[in-house]
Amino acid sequence: MDKYSLFVPNFLPSGEYLAAPSNKTCVGCGVSLAVRQIGKVVENFFDDVAFARPGKDDLFKGKTDAAFLKIKKGDSEVLFCLDDEPAGGVDNAVKKPMPVSAVEQGVKYVATACPSYPFDLMNKVQMALKVSGKSYIHVLCPCPAGWQFNTENTVKVGFKAVESLAFPLYEVVEGTYKLTNKTVKPRQIAEYLGAQERFSNVKEEEITAAGAAAQEEYQKLFGAA
Amino acid sequence: MESTAKLSKVTIDCSAVAKSDAKPYTPGAGGSVPEWEKDRCIRCGICYVYCPTGSVVRLGDGFFEADKKTCSSCGICHRECWLGVISMVEEE
Repeated sequence: MDKYSLFVPNFLPSGEYLAAPSNKTCVGCGVSLAVRQIGKVVENFFDDVAFARPGKDDLFKGKTDAAFLKIKKGDSEVLFCLDDEPAGGVDNAVKKPMPVSAVEQGVKYVATACPSYPFDLMNKVQMALKVSGKSYIHVLCPCPAGWQFNTENTVKVGFKAVESLAFPLYEVVEGTYKLTNKTVKPRQIAEYLGAQERFSNVKEEEITAAGAAAQEEYQKLFGAA
Repeated sequence: MESTAKLSKVTIDCSAVAKSDAKPYTPGAGGSVPEWEKDRCIRCGICYVYCPTGSVVRLGDGFFEADKKTCSSCGICHRECWLGVISMVEEE
């Protein structure tokens, strides 16, 4: 925990940076939460920033229509994928090929993060800003409107995503994978997918298959859970 | 100072609500705002970290207060408070 010690909530900068107070998002928005937490690290010290939803895009050869945030600071350039899964589907919720293909294409610093783990996210942003060159952070942002859960559960759903191994938090420094948040006792995948009403019509076999796929993906990267 | 001009470029918006499969709901959920029970609050600041709109304001004595103008009544602070100090109180 020593690396988190700088990020005790009460020591965070009190200003709101990037778009936090003036954004046009829904109630309980995960994207807004993630951008605000990123802003607490970057503050005003950057050269350029851009936010876009490019639509179906061939970026890193993984198809997605999630939102992207790009921050340039000095010679480092950080690309955030703010993944709120607008495409829907159980496969989309479990399989995240983007970070892996970013690693294969030689991006120096790649990480996955979730605003439910704010200090983990801020730590990764800080690491990415230290790297000269391009880095990529894939942020899972629970979306109450699209995923259909109550607005107060945004953070709880993020916890479930990580603890059910559907979205493990890791970072890749020059090709070496390292878990930053090791789940000791994994949850059932049904707990995560069942919390979202958009999957209420999905058959049970499909959910079990998704769980198996998530397990397989996890074991491929980090060995047995 | 010069970066303030660049900040206005960023507008965080969303495409999910335009989709037909999004769940309909009333923004503001009755217009309730969080209220802190100061006797039991340990000032950990977890409500401050998890607020998506940045409406939780830290006061001079270390306690917290909601900015009623920007609060969207999502209830995340109420749900995440470890001690259950925050209650959502309906506004008239």
